[in-house]
Amino acid sequence: MNLIDIRNLSIELKTATKPILAVDHVNLKMREGEVRGLVGESGSGKSLLAQAIIGVLDEKWQVHVDRFHWRGQDLMRLSPEERKAVITKDVAMIFQEPMACLDPTATIGEQLEEAVDVAQLSGFFWQKRQQRKLAAMNLLHKVGIKKHQACVKSFPHQLTDALCQRVMIAMALARRPILLIADEPTAAMESTNQGQIFRLLASLNQLKNMSILLISHDLENVTHWTNTITVMYSGQFVEAGTTEQIFNQPYHPYTRALVDSSPKASSMIPNKSRLMTLPGSIPILQHLPIGCRLGPRCPRAQQKCVHAPKIKSYHDHQVSCHFPLKDSYS
Amino acid sequence: MSNVLLQVVNLSKSYKDKNYWLNRRCINALEPLSFNIEAHKTLAIVGETGSGKSTLAKLLVGAELPSTGHIRLNGQTLEPGNFKQRCQHIRMIFQDSGTTLNPSLTIEQLLDEPLQLNTDLDELERYQLIRETLQKVGLLAEHMNFYPHMFSGGQKQRISLARAIILQPQVIILDEALASLDPSLRSQMINLLLDLQQQMGLAFILISHNLGIVRHFSDEMMVLYKGKVLELGKTTDILQNPQHKHTKKLIMSQRFQLLNR
Repeated sequence: MNLIDIRNLSIELKTATKPILAVDHVNLKMREGEVRGLVGESGSGKSLLAQAIIGVLDEKWQVHVDRFHWRGQDLMRLSPEERKAVITKDVAMIFQEPMACLDPTATIGEQLEEAVDVAQLSGFFWQKRQQRKLAAMNLLHKVGIKKHQACVKSFPHQLTDALCQRVMIAMALARRPILLIADEPTAAMESTNQGQIFRLLASLNQLKNMSILLISHDLENVTHWTNTITVMYSGQFVEAGTTEQIFNQPYHPYTRALVDSSPKASSMIPNKSRLMTLPGSIPILQHLPIGCRLGPRCPRAQQKCVHAPKIKSYHDHQVSCHFPLKDSYS
Repeated sequence: MSNVLLQVVNLSKSYKDKNYWLNRRCINALEPLSFNIEAHKTLAIVGETGSGKSTLAKLLVGAELPSTGHIRLNGQTLEPGNFKQRCQHIRMIFQDSGTTLNPSLTIEQLLDEPLQLNTDLDELERYQLIRETLQKVGLLAEHMNFYPHMFSGGQKQRISLARAIILQPQVIILDEALASLDPSLRSQMINLLLDLQQQMGLAFILISHNLGIVRHFSDEMMVLYKGKVLELGKTTDILQNPQHKHTKKLIMSQRFQLLNR
């Protein structure tokens, strides 16, 4: 069964003159127990999409969606309150910039205990306080913080970025979510610690059957941990498929460039040779190209590209391009 | 020994902890280390946080005074405190390019500042040089009248690069300069840096934790751990045959990204 099925989600930014389409008709489908990577460079709208799913965007953003199903239930038919209840019960999110997202006026312990689900506690009311403390401590141990005593008593500004990030992950895991949306969960960490966090998420996925939507700006970092990948560029859907499909046979010129541009992926290329790149830079929101937004930078662009392409699907490998690279492999 | 550009001998840095005035405690941020760099070559410095990478960069650029040791450029010792001599030859690019550009100055004024302070060029010559430098880093001459906030992240990084190369330096220190860029812009930047190295004979000191970039970009690499040099040698040798267990751990933690294809 599909865990989440989103069709044609658009997010508009209301401005004084005319609204800007920040996310343009994006589809996202996740099965239960799946780890899906959501990859895109800055300004590709991946964080916006995640925030729209959670429902934490404020009034200046307007969200339109054709279909929004959660475990077979049509969320568009529910009232906002009911929708919120469904989402908060089973979906948790790790936000970017952990320092900014934690409450600066409360200690880590207070914030963590607040996040612990009441339903998980068993016992009489006088035991609950102790159990809450214990649950918070266990959560900290789970994310690899050994000095829980010191951590619980400190305020967010007293911890490093990497520690705050771990606390955020602990809070997200507190309610034992079915879907975890991890928005760059290891941005502030070193590579040795990154592995630790990814292993924790992978083990939760295996043992608890928790689905994970892993958001990252770098295709490299997520490939080892994901089953499927969705690529976005400048608010548009680019390509979706299994990790192997995306990595070994990308159909979209943009994905091709992403895979080729990282020096790590193409270990065969000689030292200090020129890397393959796309010309130009990422368009800003005020000046988005019409049609396919990759158009001005795309090596395969033709006249047809001023119209947004329809999504084509080849064996569950979806690509949104007029001239996919499908025929170049065979 | 003729073509050694930068020679670092026994450089170290230690901080005194003033709280313990009876038994002075010393914190060694950097143990004595020595290395040489030739022109057209790149040295990569790899290490965890707190391993002394940034301390080394600060010592080289002259922002901190070394406790022991000295730095020679073309056989000439760089005096600590002689910034006029040093900042002409050794320049630095920082990680977060947006915050290092003064938001109240246009790009022309930003690039004019080091020229006014360090050269005797008149106004027209400076203007010409700024034009040429901007074109060299792949921007337009018209960008001169723009303010930093009008540029995207990748372009800001190019402006930092323009500011670094405008004095025709010999050594450029890249302190995580590529980490914050998006992948497609990062490869553009790498191409640009490699081209400039070819044209101008620059030596780069690349501080990075992305071993893929290090492998592609550098000729030699140095692994630091808690202020000590664990390994120093050719990049290919170290990556293929790491000797120390911390180096192995560092490579292993990124190896999983290399596999799986």
